[in-house]
Amino acid sequence: MNTLATSFHIPDSLHAEVPPEHRGLRRDDVRLMVLQKGEKNASHNRFDEIDKFLEAGDVLVVNNSRTIPPVLKGSQGKQNVEIRLSRKISTHQWEALLLGTFIQTNVPIQLSEGLEATISGLGSEPPLVTLSFSEGGSTLLDYIYRYGEPVRYEYIHHPWPLETYQTVYGAIPGSVEMPSAGRAFTWGLLSKLKAKGVRIASIQLHAGLSYYEKNRWPNPNNHPEAFAVPEETAKLINTAKQNGKRVIAVGTTVVRALESTVHEQGEVKASSGITKLYIDQHHRVTSVDGLLTGFHEPEASHLHMLRAFMPEKKLIKAYKEALNKGYLWHEFGDMNLILSERKGK
Amino acid sequence: MEKQYVAVITGASKGLGKALALSFAKEGYSLGLCARGIEELDEVVKQVEELGATVVASSADVTQPKDVDRFISVVEDAFGSIDVLINNASTFGPGPTLLSDYPIEQFEEVIRVNTSNPFLVTKRVLPGMLAKGKGSIINVTSEVGKTGLAEWGAYSISKFGVEGLTAIWADELADTGVRINMVDPGEMNTGMHDIAVPDCDYALASPDDVVDVFLYLASEQSMGVNGERYEAQAFTREGSELS
Repeated sequence: MNTLATSFHIPDSLHAEVPPEHRGLRRDDVRLMVLQKGEKNASHNRFDEIDKFLEAGDVLVVNNSRTIPPVLKGSQGKQNVEIRLSRKISTHQWEALLLGTFIQTNVPIQLSEGLEATISGLGSEPPLVTLSFSEGGSTLLDYIYRYGEPVRYEYIHHPWPLETYQTVYGAIPGSVEMPSAGRAFTWGLLSKLKAKGVRIASIQLHAGLSYYEKNRWPNPNNHPEAFAVPEETAKLINTAKQNGKRVIAVGTTVVRALESTVHEQGEVKASSGITKLYIDQHHRVTSVDGLLTGFHEPEASHLHMLRAFMPEKKLIKAYKEALNKGYLWHEFGDMNLILSERKGK
Repeated sequence: MEKQYVAVITGASKGLGKALALSFAKEGYSLGLCARGIEELDEVVKQVEELGATVVASSADVTQPKDVDRFISVVEDAFGSIDVLINNASTFGPGPTLLSDYPIEQFEEVIRVNTSNPFLVTKRVLPGMLAKGKGSIINVTSEVGKTGLAEWGAYSISKFGVEGLTAIWADELADTGVRINMVDPGEMNTGMHDIAVPDCDYALASPDDVVDVFLYLASEQSMGVNGERYEAQAFTREGSELS
């Protein structure tokens, strides 16, 4: 039994329903809990004080995949079918979750403007399927943008527009859910970090669906995601490591991408492809020295990854402390920075 | 051109936008084009494809953030990244009108359309350019964007705004590798000029005559040029800055 899954409960009041900028705050006006290995207690800060924890030469690696609106409305006869795209397979094909009371696998799903989606196979894991659309390429993406909506989970009670589901630096469209660990950064805060000598590098990992509804969660082993680590980013990371500086991943997607392309000695290689890497406490992370992340549901695989950075006991203690102090959960919520000990100490 | 460069042009279905699309296609750029009306845009797409260019075109209202995100995302998805953005789309509003006679609703609409669209499209394109540390943004301004002339109304005021936006952004982008400049194309024989000066009795340049400065600002020849204002017709005539 996974003790994490039963170790805490998030009260409704701590589900962040409203993005900070719609609460009269700035994006970076959220809280930051910092956990450092070797230090017994968590420290509590404002997110825009993150520069205090970083040094000149440290590298912050962000995922600049941009969120697309993947929820489409369709029908089979009189039955409504909700399509949640999860991963692009080819110009015409997407892996997707279908939601509806009665779904027929041998009947095409009709969408507006005459677009059709045929169930052409199973997905990488149940309940995902492979959908083949009657249009592809730019025409299909243009359609998705015209008619799609962002995925909004049950704790969200307002139809926030797609732009609230973007990081400020998102530049490569393809994630169906926001890589939310970087959401709190503003260009102003990134400039402040740059001025301090912190380097900002980017990777791309197009995030798939994180939840399949009805208490069904993705198994990372069966949850392929497309990623790319550019040459420039690999160089920045490797140089920082040679110089004894730290590499901080902004989000679990960054850890997944970098660990998919790291050599045993911790050297990161530029590459791109599909990753199914599952990271938990049995995995030794060598590409990064720290992780900036949000606060996760007990069942989420993101939380399993955190155990690769910190013993479960300490993690549960910190999460309980965060609950007591009223930290906000999910994509519009507060942040958590987990750092290894400083090198050379 | 060794690498395939990508240029995005807003308001590309007619006038200067169309001339820019054709000239950038001739130079070997891949193109992202948008306009509100798809029929006229399709005609331009046909012409640039005949020139051998790869093009992604979409009908979009660039004063709407959702349309801007859709258009730019489709271009980024098709070509990987964007090297050049030309914010050309604009509206004139009513013809020659004294400010004291200017209808309030049209005043607000012209200011909104002409100042919000370069803001929204630039804001959306910048993340990709900043990630690469490279990119050229060119805003289209006007003689009346720095000189107040009677009866040019909200259009003129909006272009003063565009010049301010360019100056602020140029300062904020200094040292990023991304640059933003503006071009005053001068008076041209376009549908917009017919509205601005209905009984024009003097010779006008063709939009095709003013494209050189845009090609220069898009190219690596102008690397390091940021926050500058160019007069296209002076640039073309003198040609000195191309040498």
